[in-house]
Amino acid sequence: MTDALSSLWATFFNPLWTPVLVGALIALLAFAQRWLVDQPLSCSTGFACLAQRARPGKRRDRESDWRVVFLLGIILGGLLAALTDGVPAWQGTTAEFGRFYTALVPDSAWGAALWWIGGGILIGLGARLAGGCTSGHTIAGVAMGAPASLVASAVFFAVAVGTAQLAAWVLGV
Amino acid sequence: MINRKNFLFLAFGIAFGFLLSRAGATSPAIISQLLLFDDLRLLWVIATAVMLGGLLTWLAWRLGWRARNTGAPISIQHKPFKRGLIAGSVLFGLGWAATGVCPGTALAMIGEGKGFALWVGLGIVAGSGLGSWMNQRLARD
Repeated sequence: MTDALSSLWATFFNPLWTPVLVGALIALLAFAQRWLVDQPLSCSTGFACLAQRARPGKRRDRESDWRVVFLLGIILGGLLAALTDGVPAWQGTTAEFGRFYTALVPDSAWGAALWWIGGGILIGLGARLAGGCTSGHTIAGVAMGAPASLVASAVFFAVAVGTAQLAAWVLGV
Repeated sequence: MINRKNFLFLAFGIAFGFLLSRAGATSPAIISQLLLFDDLRLLWVIATAVMLGGLLTWLAWRLGWRARNTGAPISIQHKPFKRGLIAGSVLFGLGWAATGVCPGTALAMIGEGKGFALWVGLGIVAGSGLGSWMNQRLARD
């Protein structure tokens, strides 16, 4: 019994959990949202709320506060995970980025910053035009059997995989 | 600002960010291994989440499980085939491949202290604002 508890304790601090376990916990968490407040998982709409709030002269829509609070929670969850994974803090080394992103992203500090911002703009713009991201369309939408979410998710993956494979081939990594 | 709903979503967010990290979804190296088919651990995370989510959705529908807040059966919300869905999905896929980041993981990465994710997060906010504006235009004409 104590052995089981201590191995469970040790597992908690493992930086990577068994894929099927994490996937199941994410499904239960996403379903808990629907059970408790009838609200499917959603991330990119929260970013749209942030963008709207960033515009001067706009009155804040209190009804959507929970969306921004959820985004804040994700940041805190990442912090909690980093504090409890027993590995050194992120340094941005080649090993951490992996050979693909090390080769893909510009070397200079400003070039890299522009690359990350540009990529972020594509992600935000794409998610708004598609009406959701990997959370709303893939995890929540496909699980609810929504045809539009299936199509959007298939395109997300096809384009991302195709682009990455092509880029890796061109870069020779 | 401090009410039951916001508190609940703060807890949901913390759990989601923590799980994204433990899944490996916040590591650019692991994302690139998924996209290049070198290591499919994230595929199993996503597949499990979607399949169990689908099973729970089916059970809820079949057994008429009710949502705690409304007392009505848990709703099954289908996002619409909106104008711009395909173009948006293509742009999203490009951005995902370029950075190894999506909106949820960007935030978890910021929490983990991955500085580059702050730039991506800024870009996502700007892109979202632009996208909302374009959605309004698309809905008008």
